Amino acid sequence: MTELLQAVILWPLLWVLAGLGATKLRPQQADTAGIVGLLFGVLFSLAMFGTPASGHYLSAMLLWPALGAFVVLFVPRQWTDTVRRLSSLWMWAGFVFSLWLLGPVCRDAMAGETGLLGALWSGEFQFFGSVTQFGPGLQYFFGAFAEQPGFTEAGYRFVEDVAWIEAFGIHYKLGIDGISLWLIILTTLLTPIGLAASWNSVNKKVKEFGFAFLLLQVGMMGAFLSLDIFLFYIFWELMLVPMYLIIGIWGGKQRVYAAVKFFIYTMVGSLLMLVAIAYVVLQYREFSGGVWTFDLETLSNLILPRSEQLILFMAFGLAFAIKVPMFPFHTWLPDAHVQAPTGGSVILAAVLLKLGSYGFLRFAMPLFDYAAFNLGATLAGFAIVGIIYGALCAWVQRDVKKLVAYSSVSHLGFVMLGIFGLSQGGISGSILQMVSHGISTGALFILVGVIYDRRHTRDLNDFGGIAKVMPAYTVLFIIVTMSSVGLPGTNGFIGEFMILSSSFSARALNQFGPIQTFFAATGVVLAAIYMLHAVLKIFWGPLKNEKNEKLTDLTSRERWILAPLIFLIFWIGIFPNFFLRPMEAAVDHLVATTTTQANEAQSDAVAWAQGVERPTPPEADDSDAANGEADSGETAEVPTPSDESPQALLPTAPTERLALVLGGSQ
Amino acid sequence: MTSPWIVLAPLGFVAFGGLAMMLTEAFAKKAAELAVVTTTILFAAAGLSFALFFLDTPTAPEMVANYLAYDGMAFYLDMVICGGAALAVLLAGGYLREHQIERGEFYVVLLFTVFGAMALGRAIDLLSIFVSLETLSLGVYGLVAFRRHSPRAAEGALKYFLLGSFASAILLFGMALLYGATQSTGIHAISERIASGEVDSRLVVLSMLLFTVGLAFKVSAVPFHMWTPDAYEGAATPVTTFMAVVVKAAVVGVLLRIFFVCFGHEELANAQGGWVPALTALAAITLVVGNIAALIQKSVKRMLAYSSISHAGFILVGIVAAWKTGGDGAQLSTVLFYLLAYTVSNVLAFGALILVGSRGKEAVSYEDLAGVGRRHPMVAVPFVVGILSLMGFPPTAGFFAKYYVILAAVEAGGSMTYLAVLAVLCSVVGAYYYLRVLVFMFMREPAEGNPTAVPMRSGYVTAALVLSGYFVIWMGVSPDSYLEMAVQAVSGLVS
Repeated sequence: MTELLQAVILWPLLWVLAGLGATKLRPQQADTAGIVGLLFGVLFSLAMFGTPASGHYLSAMLLWPALGAFVVLFVPRQWTDTVRRLSSLWMWAGFVFSLWLLGPVCRDAMAGETGLLGALWSGEFQFFGSVTQFGPGLQYFFGAFAEQPGFTEAGYRFVEDVAWIEAFGIHYKLGIDGISLWLIILTTLLTPIGLAASWNSVNKKVKEFGFAFLLLQVGMMGAFLSLDIFLFYIFWELMLVPMYLIIGIWGGKQRVYAAVKFFIYTMVGSLLMLVAIAYVVLQYREFSGGVWTFDLETLSNLILPRSEQLILFMAFGLAFAIKVPMFPFHTWLPDAHVQAPTGGSVILAAVLLKLGSYGFLRFAMPLFDYAAFNLGATLAGFAIVGIIYGALCAWVQRDVKKLVAYSSVSHLGFVMLGIFGLSQGGISGSILQMVSHGISTGALFILVGVIYDRRHTRDLNDFGGIAKVMPAYTVLFIIVTMSSVGLPGTNGFIGEFMILSSSFSARALNQFGPIQTFFAATGVVLAAIYMLHAVLKIFWGPLKNEKNEKLTDLTSRERWILAPLIFLIFWIGIFPNFFLRPMEAAVDHLVATTTTQANEAQSDAVAWAQGVERPTPPEADDSDAANGEADSGETAEVPTPSDESPQALLPTAPTERLALVLGGSQ
Repeated sequence: MTSPWIVLAPLGFVAFGGLAMMLTEAFAKKAAELAVVTTTILFAAAGLSFALFFLDTPTAPEMVANYLAYDGMAFYLDMVICGGAALAVLLAGGYLREHQIERGEFYVVLLFTVFGAMALGRAIDLLSIFVSLETLSLGVYGLVAFRRHSPRAAEGALKYFLLGSFASAILLFGMALLYGATQSTGIHAISERIASGEVDSRLVVLSMLLFTVGLAFKVSAVPFHMWTPDAYEGAATPVTTFMAVVVKAAVVGVLLRIFFVCFGHEELANAQGGWVPALTALAAITLVVGNIAALIQKSVKRMLAYSSISHAGFILVGIVAAWKTGGDGAQLSTVLFYLLAYTVSNVLAFGALILVGSRGKEAVSYEDLAGVGRRHPMVAVPFVVGILSLMGFPPTAGFFAKYYVILAAVEAGGSMTYLAVLAVLCSVVGAYYYLRVLVFMFMREPAEGNPTAVPMRSGYVTAALVLSGYFVIWMGVSPDSYLEMAVQAVSGLVS
């Protein structure tokens, strides 16, 4: 506790004082000095609080934006620039803080390598046997994080587990694994970029805007980090309100309609999920003789009867499918995107939608294996309808933002196809595609925002020939377009290729695999059509509209916020292995457990679980007290699956590896 | 064991407090001081119950002179009633002065009403039930009519009075029949007589029907809810709060006792025409109608009235689920927790609504809220928290309350699972009308020519908001101890 006090109170105070001292010297830059001082103080204290040794790293990551939101509340509302700088710097600091997660990743990729990579890691350069230390090397930046266990094995890292509501066995449990790793970094990166994208266009209620963004980040990070279903649900709902406000307050003309639609759609799904959660937990309690738990890992040992699994999977799936959004639940998305301010659109596309597909991977599939395996082909069918329908809708749009919004529907169809295929390559590809989509669609929304800020229109017909006046803008737009289309060498290609090549032979898709892959692949062609169509209309041709003649090219702020995204587009496109390798083990584990447990799901109406310790039956009352400590406990007999339990209708081989040309997985 | 008379201390305290107030009122210079005194009395009574609850709650039902029970639930309801009433009085302290209808008798009547509510919460004899119910009701009729210059208040009060008397008459008829069938008035004795099988079961069933109708009137379950919107809208807002909070808690308390104890016989409950199917149907209709009717309201106060109807539906779901999961009443803790959460959330929402209006101009319609979020964030924030809690949004008290009810319903299994699904779908409908408050506060500017509402300033109202806000948040973040209290409260209810 003293640690915490020291971390949360003492150090920030010291630094704020230092910041105030600096203010005395340079009064005209008082606010910047104050911000920097405060930021360093809090970051420093969080870093102390969040070292791997203390075991609070993830809490610190979650606490950081929450603290930021709190601090923003106390900035006078007239100091709009201060608010912008403070919240933006705050989030960038959070990004740096989250980069430490990469310590083990970089170590596994770089340490011990010869050549440039190894040198970058250790800071030592070997030249004909002589070793030269040229600098501190990456391992110093990562410090203790470089010593952490990497993601080469399945399982959660940096786990924190504190009992929260004991009456119901609800825990505050956070953890991270290969599946959530990149999504978290995506979140911390895209939130400040989103805020910066709305830097000038949001001029009213700036303070509230920064506050909403920081709060939104808390919700999103929390949802990605939670390993307790209840906790997840809370964060899942929590991020609704800030996004609702972002759309509803700073949005376009129809903003209220779009915001309410967004809220209600999401809430329908999530409340049904709440009922399903209650059901699963109660089933577990009944099975285990009165143990309450919401812990994901424990609950996923429970194997429910088939008919129940199907219903529960649908309840969870509805919540996630609305969020993704999958056809036919996508109708809220174009409205929300078009009405949201640029920053809101960026976050919505880049992170919020990913929570839906992440929910499938993290919760719906491990909990309801049988259903996931057997509904896979059907749901993949919906995903494909989404791919084609989204693409066709995008094609006919005149509003660029709506076009990008529909392209999201189409791209996320690919992600869902990969997930429902339940193959190693497909899921890895989906996760990579989630990240890629976040980057390229985020960049697209920023670019659309750029032109909207200048012309206050997004109609394709108002443009034409812009390339002549905005060359830099054109180049970046085309790079991002290519990435969105899936040109080899950019990030979009890798994910789509992995998904398509593995869904061709995915077992979960049964005999439909090839035909579904065929239709999905037409989506790639359609993507090229609608995106290039838009590029053609905006950039090429004669400069007809005279209002476009005086457009200014990208400002340096806009270049700087796009730079990391462009960099990532190529990095993922050219070196995907760096991103794929950490997720390999987790995905393997997911596929293996899901397929084997799906095999074991039985048809009669009794739930059972694997390797779950049941408390001793209630008649042995005297041993009740000792029961808690009975470490090994007595592994109660788990009712074996009934004899007429399914013949192996699923592949026994847990995973099905694909030798990929681009070699993500092997 | 403490003397049984000591355990009536909270009750006596409020009664003597009321008497003393009648004297004080004659001498007090400013009626606002009376608000402070009343609040103090009520908080003290709540504290007394709190102390007694933890010091000396019997595990088996005990009674004082055969009329009043002495158990955990009585003390728990005392806390909810007195706490809720104290907060409502704080709201009144600000409201009545601002709208210049401040008169001392308000507090006196209110105290005696609270006395009735507290007695009702522990009444276990048909006689004491009826007497305390009438004490409660008469007081509330008076309170609703308190804003006597307002035609709406007069309309609401008259409607409430007529329908309320009607309901009381129905209840009384049911009691008479029950007495005729069993020759006793104590609910425990009645339950024993029914269990012995020597009673005319036709009479019992008929009286059960009358009880169901009468109590459904009082908790404003659909289709017996018609008085609610008018009375809620007509009454001064603190009175509305009081009705939503105190009256409902007390009536739910007596409802639990009557059904779980008096009609707790297996056959009476579960039979085709038993009270469990009846309450299930009532819950379903109440949820659907309450939420849909709230959708189309133009007045925030009326919307909150319908929302209180839909919350009654949720409470009924909790009651039925509790019966179905065991019948021993252990699951009733969800209902009690719900009452507490509902109390504090309502105080927060109504309190913020009071704060928006000023100088005789109450904020009533949604338009009155336009632009408030921007101009007066300190008024908007409590409103948002209260609304989110009523909506059942995590992490607030309202969320956990709803969640526990859903959990209990799912646990009961069978058709209750469908009821749980219906309940959450209705919550989605609820989200729509609750969100409208946020929409108007944050996303709309007042129409041309209309100024933004000027909030009043009042330390009393602020204090009530801070207190209830604390509970709303804290019960959401750490509901453990409150839940434990609720579990302890119902432990001795049915034996």
